[in-house]
Amino acid sequence: MRRLRVAAALLAGAALLGLAACGETEQVVVYKQGKYQGKADSNPWDNAPLAYGHATWKKGDKASWENEINTRNLSQNEYRRIYNQ
Amino acid sequence: MARMKFLCDAERCIECNGCVTACKNENDVPWGVNRRRVVTVNDGVVGAEKSMSVACMHCSDAPCMAVCPVDCFYRTEDGVVLHDKDLCIGCGYCFYACPFGAPQFPQAGAFGMRGKMDKCTFCSGGPEPDRSEAEFKKYGRNRLAEGKLPLCAEMCSTKALLGGDGDVIADIYRERVTRRGKGAEVWGWGTAYGPGKPGAQPPAAGGKS
Amino acid sequence: MLLTRKAQTGGAPQARLARGLSGVLAKTMDRRAFLQRSGVTLGVGAAAAQLPFNMIGDAQAASEAAGGKVEVKRTICSHCSVGCAIDAVVQNGVWIRQEPVFDSPLNLGSHCAKGAAVREHGMVHDSHRLKTPMKLEGGKWKRVSWDQAYKEIGDKLLAIKTESGPDALFVLGSSKHNNEQSYLLRKWISLWGSNNVDHQARICHSTTVAGIANTWGYGAMTNSYNDEQNSKCLFFLGSNAAEAHPVSMLHTLHAKENGAKVIVADPRYTRTAAKADKYVRFRSGTDVAFLFGLVYHVFKNGWEDKEYIRQRVYGMDKVKAEVMAKYPPDVVADVTGVSEKDMHEVAKMLADNRPAFIIWAMGQTQHTNGNAVTRASAVLMLALGSAGVTGGGANIYRGHDNVQGATDVGPNAQSLPGYYGLAPGSFKHWARVWNVDLDWLKKQYASDKMMGKSGITVSRWHDAVLEKKENLDQDTSLRAVIFWGHAPNSQSRGPDQLKAMEKLDLMVVIDPYPSASAAMFAKVRKEGAYLLPAATQFECAGSITASNRSLQWREQVIEPLFESRNDHMIMYQLAEKLGFGDQLVGKRNGKQNIKLVKGRDGMMEPDVEDVLREINAGTWTIGYTGQSPERLQAHMRNLHVFDVKTLRARGGKDAKTGYDLTGDYFGLPWPCWGNDKVKHPGTPNLYDTSKAVMDGGGTFRARYGVEKDGVNLLAEDSASVGSEIKTGYPEFSDKMLKKLGWWDDLTPEEKAEAEGKNWKTDLSGGIQRVALKHACVPFGNAKARAVVWNFPDAVPLHREPLYSPRPDLVAKWPTNDDKKYVYRVPTLFKTVQDKSVADKDSTKFPYILTSGRLVEYEGGGEETRSNPWLAELQQECFIEISPKAAADRGVRNGQFVWVSTPSGAKIKVKAMVTERVGNDTVFIPFHFSGWWQGEDMLAYYPEGAHPIVRGDAVNTATTYGYDVVTAMQETKTTLCQVTPA
Repeated sequence: MRRLRVAAALLAGAALLGLAACGETEQVVVYKQGKYQGKADSNPWDNAPLAYGHATWKKGDKASWENEINTRNLSQNEYRRIYNQ
Repeated sequence: MARMKFLCDAERCIECNGCVTACKNENDVPWGVNRRRVVTVNDGVVGAEKSMSVACMHCSDAPCMAVCPVDCFYRTEDGVVLHDKDLCIGCGYCFYACPFGAPQFPQAGAFGMRGKMDKCTFCSGGPEPDRSEAEFKKYGRNRLAEGKLPLCAEMCSTKALLGGDGDVIADIYRERVTRRGKGAEVWGWGTAYGPGKPGAQPPAAGGKS
Repeated sequence: MLLTRKAQTGGAPQARLARGLSGVLAKTMDRRAFLQRSGVTLGVGAAAAQLPFNMIGDAQAASEAAGGKVEVKRTICSHCSVGCAIDAVVQNGVWIRQEPVFDSPLNLGSHCAKGAAVREHGMVHDSHRLKTPMKLEGGKWKRVSWDQAYKEIGDKLLAIKTESGPDALFVLGSSKHNNEQSYLLRKWISLWGSNNVDHQARICHSTTVAGIANTWGYGAMTNSYNDEQNSKCLFFLGSNAAEAHPVSMLHTLHAKENGAKVIVADPRYTRTAAKADKYVRFRSGTDVAFLFGLVYHVFKNGWEDKEYIRQRVYGMDKVKAEVMAKYPPDVVADVTGVSEKDMHEVAKMLADNRPAFIIWAMGQTQHTNGNAVTRASAVLMLALGSAGVTGGGANIYRGHDNVQGATDVGPNAQSLPGYYGLAPGSFKHWARVWNVDLDWLKKQYASDKMMGKSGITVSRWHDAVLEKKENLDQDTSLRAVIFWGHAPNSQSRGPDQLKAMEKLDLMVVIDPYPSASAAMFAKVRKEGAYLLPAATQFECAGSITASNRSLQWREQVIEPLFESRNDHMIMYQLAEKLGFGDQLVGKRNGKQNIKLVKGRDGMMEPDVEDVLREINAGTWTIGYTGQSPERLQAHMRNLHVFDVKTLRARGGKDAKTGYDLTGDYFGLPWPCWGNDKVKHPGTPNLYDTSKAVMDGGGTFRARYGVEKDGVNLLAEDSASVGSEIKTGYPEFSDKMLKKLGWWDDLTPEEKAEAEGKNWKTDLSGGIQRVALKHACVPFGNAKARAVVWNFPDAVPLHREPLYSPRPDLVAKWPTNDDKKYVYRVPTLFKTVQDKSVADKDSTKFPYILTSGRLVEYEGGGEETRSNPWLAELQQECFIEISPKAAADRGVRNGQFVWVSTPSGAKIKVKAMVTERVGNDTVFIPFHFSGWWQGEDMLAYYPEGAHPIVRGDAVNTATTYGYDVVTAMQETKTTLCQVTPA
């Protein structure tokens, strides 16, 4: 009888532990990188150049847009303008 | 593949604030929102004064993006960090996380309500149709979609602030450093954390961040 | 994942924190951070509050998506003399954005805070501009119509003229008018019958122009900002270019990067000094001693260029004798505070790195002996042989966008357009050019004597109102004043200006902004003033002259906003009312020089291109004859062909007109000799003998005769390349051409006109054309004068400022004697200085008060302080005070203080404790106004037309003191006391 009660208590304890293990939540925050939830954005090169100005890349062509940007970037280097490059 | 970056040459920055007002002008930024600021260290100290223009650094591993509870940040293919204002709840956590103070909040109301976060977009707008009125009103001008670069860098009075593809501006900067024989010691471990001696090296023992 | 940072070992984080704290707590703090901590965010109530949270921008500046044709207009920034080009994008008449112009050889696309913010001028929403004409009635500004304003102003002016004569009116003209408007204003006041007109150059570079023109011919920047790239040493003495001419630093820093040395001497450690290889701090007001202290070392060590001096300089031996006797190192150290070691080092740097530039702005000019300071600078360059060469000279940084042009052809009290003096011959010349009857013109003036007398200056207008007419050098005191594009708070002695306003019969302000004049007047009067809204320089076309003498053509960006009218329309309409409208446009005997075209709302205004053509027709003295509208516009369309280092076009043909640009220098910098058919390319570097005159070369001007006291004044064995006369020669006249046997090179028509004339008065241009044909310079080839015998101090002499901190030095270096008249007004010197010493001002007011610029604002500041993008950056007026001085006076950082001066006035500003200034000097920027001795004057502005940022004007407290030759004000050096408020 006593053995049964001990066994029952042990079983109950084990069950409790088991249950606790299933339902217990982590006490420490584990970081998970989220995923962007907002609207989609388009790429700059998917636009046509403005009607005015001197831009000449081809709409949709990433390489020609990058070329445009990098060429314009060189205007920030005054050595180019000074040494006629 | 373009990787957009800013680089401010402290040997040339004269704290003229051209970059600050260029940004205000092009993006119609209201009073109280400072997307770009010029920071000066050792102001007025003979031989030691240096200035630098700071806005969003468009980090590769952006802390703002990491902490945002509603995940309103994204990074474009060019490495520009943008966010969706319609999702933003104005919690201000990105402001805590950013080491540069890039997130700005328009002040409004008697109790200092925070409003939606606003920050430098590398002049590439946000998640609205490119070059539309909606995109301009919410995020400012989208110059990348016009084949141009941020106006702050294009208008810098002494060409101290460079903005564009990292490789291109690194080349520009390298040419200057070569000519002047110095300038690179403004960067680096020793300058940021050391006793202030230019070109100092990191301590032998001790972890890097 | 780098969110969390591992703990640091060692003292690194401690050190970081300590330095961070030291920035916050102790002496040094960044100016911006200081104001953000202390300042009120004045604009919070503005736009942000009304916007939905996810919007930032108002609809006004729409994107192109809004639809409508887009035009790009090319204009020039209106905020300083660098002349940065701007592409203004306009859609449906609205200025929607601005783009950088990378092709411009002057600025290469760069801008400072002001240039990057000019689009705000075209914004209608929440604009602080003056929008309608206004009249002061019962102490309040009431809106009136243009017609009513014109009628009342015109009637009043004519009544005053009848009662007191034309000299009862004074016009403070503008350095921000373009060349055409400036020129018309000088004509306007002459046709009214007076020389009482002046502009900001008076208080800016008048001492430069007088000093330098009397040294070697013209008083302008000898080279250009670009030419600094060809220099080995850049010496800034009295210039804070990083804040006053930021984009010029592009050229300076590029030069520095390529080996040039930068030396900065300034009482403050300015932002320019932060970029210097050598910085020297010296006492404000001791510039002559400083410069001659350098010249001493040059001569002592034999570093002078002896051959250059023999060929091209007169009087250097006299100067040398005086310098060696009076300015030895110990004396200089006592006077200036600079050690012999530092002086020697600077002199050696200049001598070892030639050619060198000396660069200055107000630091040298705004003193009672400013004319001597600028001459001493020229002497230093002449001694080193660094003047009149590529890469060397006197780079004089002018201020406003068109102060150079306004000085050249505009409203000066002492000259007609082109620096023609007020002699009968000049009036005869200009009457011909203007197509105005000379006898009619003479009758307009009060008398022939008054016609030949220099007028009153902007620095003394209030004295001319308050002074009894018996003490003035004219028949009446001033009764009416027009502030035409000029602010009052850039002149010293604000309280005296207020007293003058109390006495005036009439004040008219013609300006895009009401300016502090409106607020000051309404503070003390109930009626007697009118405000007329002028349009900005973006609402009209015209040419302006940058500091390097290049002319650039502005296109009109937008139509005048609100009810504003552009200045030349106002000039014409007022002239019509006052009875000389026809003469203003040269309408006489069936001929009309300047046609009228339709301006806004169909109203007629003078055509700006015709005005420039008239300038071309008459301004032979400085070579404003070749810069026709067509050539200038072709330049603006083809910026990319101009080389940055030399400013020369390597080639190129204008697509629109076919004009061949090859060989032109950008903007055809004057002198551009002969008419546009001669196709002179302009002169980028003055007096440069290494080039032929048709290639932009030149010589020093021959103005003072051929010999003095037996010494030859003409150049010896030196002439520009290819010159047929190989040595010095006087200025060209008909007689000289005949003597040389070149008279027959003239065409018959030219001969008819040139008979009896010289290179300045020959309207055919033949004399100049023939001189150029023989590769000679029309104004002669002479030596520069190191000794200017027609000035009070023939050799520049150090004189202590009127309010000096060193009474002992006042005894040794006293100021000038009092003068009965300087520009018609009695001017005291010795009396004031002696009283200051007797009153022990140096103990009661122990700090030297100096004033200067901030990069965010310009001039009087009401225009830039009304621009929210700029205003946000500097929200309060402040005083820079050293940590020791602050501790001595019990002043804490960020605290309000009262600054009082011997004038009795005091102003309330915020203290900024910084090491920038020395222990004996304090600095206050001069751009603020809108407070009067601590009281906000918001109530006195017209509604909706007040600047966003207001503060006490430093010039409310600055003291008496004027240059003995030009009446320049001494705003760089006075005394003050600082007391916590």
